[in-house]
Amino acid sequence: MSLLSQILTILLNGLQQGAIYVLLAVGLSIILGTLKFVNFAHGALYLLGAYLGLFITTEVQLTNGMLPEWGITTFGLGLGFLAALLIVPLVTFVVGIVMERFVAKPFYDRPDTDQILVTFGLAVIFQEALRALIGGDSQSLPQPAWASGPIALPIIGNFPRWRLGVIVITALLVLFVYALVEYTDFGLIVRAGTMDSEMVRLLGIRLDRPYLVVFGIGAALAGIAGVVGGPLANVNPNIGTEQLVPAFLTVVIGGVGKIEGAVLAGLLLGTLQVLLIQTGFAAWNRVGIYVLAAVILLVRPQGLLGSEVDVE
Amino acid sequence: MTLLDVDGIDGYYGESHIIQDVSMTVDEGEITALLGRNGAGKTSTLRCISGATPPEVRDGTIRFDGTDITNQPPEDIAVRGISLVPEERRVFTDLTVAENLHLAETVRNKSNTWNRGLEFKDEGMSTDEIYEFFPRLDERREQKAGTLSGGEQQMLAIARALHQSTDLLMLDEPYEGLAPQIIEAVENAIERISENGTTVLLVEQNAVAAMKIADRCYVLDRGEVVFEGAADELRANDEIRDRYLGV
Repeated sequence: MSLLSQILTILLNGLQQGAIYVLLAVGLSIILGTLKFVNFAHGALYLLGAYLGLFITTEVQLTNGMLPEWGITTFGLGLGFLAALLIVPLVTFVVGIVMERFVAKPFYDRPDTDQILVTFGLAVIFQEALRALIGGDSQSLPQPAWASGPIALPIIGNFPRWRLGVIVITALLVLFVYALVEYTDFGLIVRAGTMDSEMVRLLGIRLDRPYLVVFGIGAALAGIAGVVGGPLANVNPNIGTEQLVPAFLTVVIGGVGKIEGAVLAGLLLGTLQVLLIQTGFAAWNRVGIYVLAAVILLVRPQGLLGSEVDVE
Repeated sequence: MTLLDVDGIDGYYGESHIIQDVSMTVDEGEITALLGRNGAGKTSTLRCISGATPPEVRDGTIRFDGTDITNQPPEDIAVRGISLVPEERRVFTDLTVAENLHLAETVRNKSNTWNRGLEFKDEGMSTDEIYEFFPRLDERREQKAGTLSGGEQQMLAIARALHQSTDLLMLDEPYEGLAPQIIEAVENAIERISENGTTVLLVEQNAVAAMKIADRCYVLDRGEVVFEGAADELRANDEIRDRYLGV
């Protein structure tokens, strides 16, 4: 394997690893930037996405938890991966909207700590309820048949087809959200709301509905992240909390409210992790991203692409 | 005819009682000035009228064109035809001039999904009229608002307010931080807006500049009205000018 192909492989794997962070962070970042709401339940939406994906795609044999005790030993629809990819974002979008109305909205004017407590509490309730119902076993979400196996890429050689799929899906979704925010009236209102929400309202623009949609989009992205990330690792009740911290890190490093920032930071963290894993420092890969985060935030407290104002 | 009628309002920031029984009226077509020293309660009064919170109005009523608008949400008040050019302009600095204006225009677009259910009074100035009125903004359409000079940002804030459906234009310290010749340009713009039939409520610390263009004046001190009358009367009243305005 030539050096060039090694570098490119690391970059591509980094892109894939970062892609999941990006999907989570873009939603989190627009929610935090626009609504000033700290959503610690974002990881639970990832968890929900992964399990919904699992149960829509296959029929799962259950051995632990209360469901088998109640006589339910197989659970799932077995509709295939494509169905999951289409249904999960719709369901999580609706869940996001319900969350905005009943969880986030009453807490908009409350301190960040209250927001963190209520959302983290909800996330833990969801996670533990899930564990109680179906047990803590790791399940595997099968890769879609049409994207299994390797694909031959120039220079790099064989690369897992699904990993490439994750990169492509992420890129398309990020472009979609970016276009929505940059080129539509909705996006204009959201961007202005991020800068000065009171002024937007003083112009006569009602922000409730755009905010609702922002929350829904963020939740849908987290749900999709769960589905596309599912086949890359095991699915168990802990994966939501595991993804939450790197996702927040990505938001802060990139600059709160900046989609480009979330993309850049996600890719940076992903690439660093893969680099450490593939060069024999696998045990240090988690440490590495925190060190990188600390260094970046020391130099640029507002994050890579954040504006100075955001620090306040 | 009275367009805006503020009747004995008491405004609170938490438990601090900062607006005390303030009453004032703004007549249609006139320029009314609300004067007073820093901290007299001028901005808070404007915030009460525009529905921005805090302060919270706990007593008294604010009527606009006969309708009670006390403590209504700011977006509902704005679409009735009250627009605010706030202190420090608050233009959206990361958006271009055109985007800043377009934002105000989305409000008037009745088919806009985001505003379904709001009652719009009438139409504001069209984009062409705005650029004709402020040629400087026309030249800088694609420039980020944050890169404009103070005077240009003030023009943009006023243009944005006019772009809404506005019957009452409220300006909070529009001369603040501007060079004398720029103040003159802003003054000139306010007079032209008034001549076009828009009613103006002008809040200013710079009493001399405000009295020049105002028809009627109110003077606030520590959240209370201490003078009301024609601008000429205030010009002639040395005691009030000396005691509350320092001019």
